[in-house]
Amino acid sequence: MNPVVRWFHQLGSPPYFDRFAARWAPWAYLLGLLAMGVGLYGALFAVPADYQQGDSFRILYIHVPSAWMSMAVFALMAFYAAIALVWRIKLCEILAMACAPSGAAFTLVTLATGSIWGKPMWGTWWDWDPRLTTELIVLLVYVGLMGLYAAIDDRRNAARAAGFLAIVGVALLPVIRWSVVWWNSLHQGQTISLFGKSHMDPSMLWPLVWMIAGTKLWFVGSLLGRARADNLRRETGKDWVTKLAGGTP
Amino acid sequence: MMRQAAAALIARDLRLLWARRGDALQPALFALLTVVLFALGLGGDAKSLAPVASAVLWLAVLLAGLLALDSLFRGDAEDGSLEQWMLAPVPLWWLVLVRTLMHWATTALPVIVAVPLLGELLHLPRAQLPVLMASLLLGTPILSLFGAVVAALTVGMRRAGILVALLALPLYVPVLVFGAGAVAASAQGLDADGALLLLGAGLVISLVLAPPTTAAALRIAHN
Amino acid sequence: MSYRDYVIAAYAVFAIVMLWDYVVPRLQLRAALRAARLRVARVASRTAPTELER
Repeated sequence: MNPVVRWFHQLGSPPYFDRFAARWAPWAYLLGLLAMGVGLYGALFAVPADYQQGDSFRILYIHVPSAWMSMAVFALMAFYAAIALVWRIKLCEILAMACAPSGAAFTLVTLATGSIWGKPMWGTWWDWDPRLTTELIVLLVYVGLMGLYAAIDDRRNAARAAGFLAIVGVALLPVIRWSVVWWNSLHQGQTISLFGKSHMDPSMLWPLVWMIAGTKLWFVGSLLGRARADNLRRETGKDWVTKLAGGTP
Repeated sequence: MMRQAAAALIARDLRLLWARRGDALQPALFALLTVVLFALGLGGDAKSLAPVASAVLWLAVLLAGLLALDSLFRGDAEDGSLEQWMLAPVPLWWLVLVRTLMHWATTALPVIVAVPLLGELLHLPRAQLPVLMASLLLGTPILSLFGAVVAALTVGMRRAGILVALLALPLYVPVLVFGAGAVAASAQGLDADGALLLLGAGLVISLVLAPPTTAAALRIAHN
Repeated sequence: MSYRDYVIAAYAVFAIVMLWDYVVPRLQLRAALRAARLRVARVASRTAPTELER
């Protein structure tokens, strides 16, 4: 059998995944920390201040990666959920649900940093512009999803229901975003294109790349960690967990 | 076969509705209550109410519909009819579609009929009423169809409550935006046709896509 | 507030949330392993040979 295919099948076995996650999560965190370190150094010290926005534009280097991650994690969650619903693979159910808290965290950071950036930029902590409004709705979907997962007792059914919602959410997200943009143009008038991502000199771009890589790796670390914990909780009582906990099956 | 099943389901729902006539008025009463609270909160004078009247009315209808969502599948889930649905020779999405439209007709339609009267309470400018009614007639079925998906996912849960609202609201946003936005556009003197056409298109799409989605959700939740 | 304070606030939010994202999975893992160990202990004490059986 093709080694890659075999590796995928092996990964679906709970004890194998436990070992895999235990081994690789620390590396993901470490590499993520290093990448973010480079990016943060660049964002805070190496890059010169913007002639228009002064130092406040440095917030971009954490706002944009967080916004990216909040969307990417949502898509990943829906992807895992689709596999889980179609092929009923337990690991994909676990992975899908493990995405949600981190995705919600990134969404929260996006909203908070966007708000903090907005104060010196536009003079207000909050603005119902398309991006922030859509992010707020995305946060509500994440929270609702986690609430649904928690509310159903059977873990597999809960994951399937919440996963289904994630897929519906991903399908509707473009519609929601588009409707909010339309609403914004109707009520707020055409505002300036958001957060000056339009003209960024390439010399100012490199910390952003490091930050995007760093947040991705950090996310992988926590995804593996949460998935491993969920895996252990679900498999309590099985022989391999008993052995792991120091007992004799 | 499908027509017979639809007729039987409609007849049953109407009989049940007649048995509980009082309950049928509850969404309309809730909308009235919402309007009263908004008016009290805003100060009650025409100058502050008239500009927001159409938006408040849209919200009153939307929230009343949200509350009524609970009754969409709960009765059938509790007495076991839902399992009969899944075993029926008729496609599940067909039964879901019939049930959802009946539910809309019995919970949302009475509220919409009351809207002109409620509009008077909020000093809604007369010129906005036609667009408001059109947007509600196009938008509320979409709300029912979207809401059915959420209601299906939570059908087994006893303490669903706020969770249903939390899950449904992101799905409701586009409908609210285009529905209330259509009236706002016409109030500003812009053309509301674009928004209304979008709502119409949305209605057609959700008539096709929402029932199978709800059917899938029912099977997942009932599992 | 100078620009600097805003930047510090934003980066602080980022750091705190990233830290939370690191800490929570580790706590969950510790709790899951602890629960497994307790379960093992419970099962062991339940099936331990009693006085009469020896």
